[in-house]
Amino acid sequence: MGLTLLAQSAIGGLLLGGIYGLLALGLSLSWGLLRLVNLSHFALAFLGAYLTYQLGTQFGIAPWLSALVVVPAFFVAGMALHALFVRFQVSEFASMLVTFGITILIESLIQWLWSADYRRFESGYAQASLRIGPLFVPVLELAAFACAALLAVAAWAGLNRTLLGKALRAAAHDGPIAAAFGINATRLSYLLAGLCAASAGIAGVFIALTSTLAPSQIEAWIGVVFAVVIIGGLARPLGALAAGCLIGISESVTMAAVNPAWAPLVAFSILIVLLLWRPRWL
Amino acid sequence: MLLEVRNLHVSHGDAPALWDASLDVAAGQIVAVVGPNGAGKSTLINTIAGILRARQGEIRIDGTDIAKVQSHRVCEHGIAIVPEGRRLFTHMSVLDNLELGSWRADARGSAEGSLERVFSLFPILSERRHQIAGSMSGGQQQMVAIGRALMARPRLLLMDEPSLGLSPAVVEDMFRIIRTINERGVAVLLVEQNIHKALEMAHHAYVIEQGRIVASGKADTLLSNPRIREAYLGV
Amino acid sequence: MALTSQHARAATVAAVAGLIALPYAGVADFYLSYLYVVFFWIALATSWGILSGYSGYWSFGHAAFFGAGAYTTATLAGRWGVPFLLTIPAAAGIAAALALGIGWVVFRINTLRAEFFALLTLSVTYVLAAVISNTPIDGGGGVYLSNVAIPQLGTTVPGAIYLLGLALAFTALAVSRRILRSRLGAGLLAIHDDEDVAEVKGVPTLHYKLVAFAISSAIAGAAGAIQAAYVGYVTVGETFSITVPLYVVLMSILGGARHWAGPAIGAALITVALSLFVGGGHAELGRAGVALALVVVILVLPEGIAPSLLGRFARRRNSAPVAAPTPATASEPGNVVVMKLPAVHAAAGRPLLTCRAVAKSFGGIRALQGVDLQVEEGEILALVGPNGSGKSTLINMISGHFPLSSGSIELHGASIDGLAPHEVARRGIARTYQIPRLFNHLTVLENVRLCAFFGGAPDAAGESPDALALRWLAFTGLEAKAHVLPPALNLHERKFVELARALAARPRLLLLDEVLCGLTPTEVDHAIAMIRKIRAGGTTIVFVEHLMRAVVALADRIAVLDQGTLLALGLPRETMQDPRVVGAYLGAAHAA
Repeated sequence: MGLTLLAQSAIGGLLLGGIYGLLALGLSLSWGLLRLVNLSHFALAFLGAYLTYQLGTQFGIAPWLSALVVVPAFFVAGMALHALFVRFQVSEFASMLVTFGITILIESLIQWLWSADYRRFESGYAQASLRIGPLFVPVLELAAFACAALLAVAAWAGLNRTLLGKALRAAAHDGPIAAAFGINATRLSYLLAGLCAASAGIAGVFIALTSTLAPSQIEAWIGVVFAVVIIGGLARPLGALAAGCLIGISESVTMAAVNPAWAPLVAFSILIVLLLWRPRWL
Repeated sequence: MLLEVRNLHVSHGDAPALWDASLDVAAGQIVAVVGPNGAGKSTLINTIAGILRARQGEIRIDGTDIAKVQSHRVCEHGIAIVPEGRRLFTHMSVLDNLELGSWRADARGSAEGSLERVFSLFPILSERRHQIAGSMSGGQQQMVAIGRALMARPRLLLMDEPSLGLSPAVVEDMFRIIRTINERGVAVLLVEQNIHKALEMAHHAYVIEQGRIVASGKADTLLSNPRIREAYLGV
Repeated sequence: MALTSQHARAATVAAVAGLIALPYAGVADFYLSYLYVVFFWIALATSWGILSGYSGYWSFGHAAFFGAGAYTTATLAGRWGVPFLLTIPAAAGIAAALALGIGWVVFRINTLRAEFFALLTLSVTYVLAAVISNTPIDGGGGVYLSNVAIPQLGTTVPGAIYLLGLALAFTALAVSRRILRSRLGAGLLAIHDDEDVAEVKGVPTLHYKLVAFAISSAIAGAAGAIQAAYVGYVTVGETFSITVPLYVVLMSILGGARHWAGPAIGAALITVALSLFVGGGHAELGRAGVALALVVVILVLPEGIAPSLLGRFARRRNSAPVAAPTPATASEPGNVVVMKLPAVHAAAGRPLLTCRAVAKSFGGIRALQGVDLQVEEGEILALVGPNGSGKSTLINMISGHFPLSSGSIELHGASIDGLAPHEVARRGIARTYQIPRLFNHLTVLENVRLCAFFGGAPDAAGESPDALALRWLAFTGLEAKAHVLPPALNLHERKFVELARALAARPRLLLLDEVLCGLTPTEVDHAIAMIRKIRAGGTTIVFVEHLMRAVVALADRIAVLDQGTLLALGLPRETMQDPRVVGAYLGAAHAA
């Protein structure tokens, strides 16, 4: 296989990895800091994608404008879901089951509103790409990657450089002692839940721009992003991005070198190998 | 009287841990609570700090009852805790731990000044301010824990077994520092298994056994009390 | 009561006979197919419950095994012309092999938590789907079974499928019920409540999880095989969709995952409800409904419907056979019982346990630094020392919780360091925990009986585990509480159940970790009397304690640990007056 092809697939994989990392970000932070496994994150992202698609095709609203509506709405939705968890004192495991159910509910909603047909959001930029030597870098995917990297860095900075972020981490590490120093973990957790849901909205906008939409796609992403979250480490924004890129590149190269259809195996295999080699990673 | 604890009853689930406990701490005093392990000393400290909830009883700071106050609001009354086993935020740096100590609103304004004071007490922390807390030695971690509590600008410092797991030389330093802190006007309620050191330093002391306070008085008189020998050694 | 179980058996036989007769009685194919669907879900949900319901390892990947079975049949019968009936055991076998492979890798990750297992198994489904989709097994177009001959068994094809479904559902229920009443079931339930303690009490946790996983998957595989024939056309999308895991999870939760009939009840309810409320073409609506039900049930009814219904029935049946409980509460060690522990060699003064230069470091912290200790057979040895001196660490190492950093531990001359906790338990060492760790979903009697099952050497008298359990409950004065669940007990009672559990394993060496902590003075006296009785029966006891007056009263010898080393060892009074010991506790100035 030629070097150009290899490099081209690596680029494609890297950019795809950005979206993986973006999706993984919200899930990773929620799981690591709130002890809630929010599987509905995927469905929410896809809902955001479909909304972007609808606003774009029916009303001609540009995606970045749609984002201004979708993202804050999702922020509120995230807090509402969190209120449910707090009210019913849901355990970590139960949160997974509940969000599993919610995922399917959202998927059914999407199917009811938009049917199971494949949808493609035709934005003007779909064909545009940058030329770097012999390689093509699609503009939309590049924008998605840039946004993902930006958010990952912002999340990292927020958690490690602001007092608020440190307070959040402290509360996740030792709730009672953090409270003894005045840190109100519940209030902070609402904020984080809202932010995670908002990130799902952002991911959704980019998914609409770069992928074909179908309700069945939701499930396809669960396996991969789950692997990205674990490999990247819980509550590690930069790790999620790196893991996303790793998996993205591995998948693309496998697709080009071996067979496109083996891609789902890649993420899973990497995960299993990692868990066998370093069981402490969990 | 800065702290007045009256008739405190605390249970772990349905297992009673503390029966009818009462004690006083005057402003600027060092008060020690000594007793064997499992007697209820940590329960007492954790309840005053708001980490545990009492079944019954009162905890008054300057006259205000804080027994029913929410956990994250207790520190607003001027209480800070140095927990048993330090319980630092081990994945974060020394500086982060200290900064979080002054999270509460009225302490945050003077955080810089507090930080200066902590570094002057513990120069080694200043050198190692970016080191991850979990990687430091036991004695250094204890310094971080004390520093974190001081950052909250407390009027009353609660200390739960500060000498636990530390070598004798470090323990000497520790108690010297506690005395210094007290001289600057902070009252200290100290729970300790190392009776000798605790009673040497305190003004007043209480002896606790199996969840009840069984003796109290001036520290030096208690030191020669036969009940302590019995409580600790059984003979 | 014997009448009731006979009645139940007769009723079951009649019902099954009736069901078998239906196709031959000329019932329309439509009804037979409807019933088949019910049986199908009963089988699938019940099989899920065998691993996930009992052990608490919730799998989201049941579709993988179902699909493996479906594709085995599709390939064997559809492509290679193997007779259909033969493909059913093959499907079960392949599914079981797949489960064993996955379990072997995944169950040995000891930081594995329930959420990870669930998501890992979900991932397996997608991977399997991808593999099947991209290989000649399916190749993307699906596999037709239209040319597969289904043996009609004397009736129509739908009738035959109905009979196969009935057979599978019946098998699943029978197997699940059998397991629940066996050692495997007891072990799985214990794993559900507290896997670490189960391991320590002698349950071979890895082995049991693998067996349950394999059985569960085999049944799912068989269900897949039959379903493949039923639908006639197998595709990856339909087979590996989210439907199977979602439905079995909800059915089991709704019906109650801990009972063998729970998932079946849930399956029947959901299948009927779906058919009543959802028309044929609205599959998505059905799924949405199920998903919504899942959310509501988790939030509001975490334990499911079956437990309360069936529990009422079971309690009535159970309350009869037990011996009349004494009205007294757990306040007196039973004087009526003569404890007969296995013949312990009366050679007193022979070392039972020998620790040589035992050392343990956790990261940089040296918890134990070369401890030499010999425990004589038949003695009561107290282990004391200030906080952080290493007492609990030593106990944890003897019982096998932690491996040694260096040194050796021998029991009757045979080395036991490095053995898995359940192996150590088998050798005759039992321990209690300072904070009692009982199996909260098992009754007191079941807790003790489990430890009798898995404990040390078998009792020479051939006593049944039930009788043994009752005997130890009587000894600790708890027979009245035999059918109570642990959360309803107070601390004193829970500590005594801990003790009864440890004794039911017929140990030679009993390790007690702060058993007196938290008790009132009266309760302490009772506990002391009980410990003396236990030793009188021949068990050697090592106990960690802080209550010094109890230690001095009870112990034959005292070992004092301080900062990881053995400071002193000897008779109680002498040791506690040893200047070094006094110094360690009270400070150097006092020691003089």
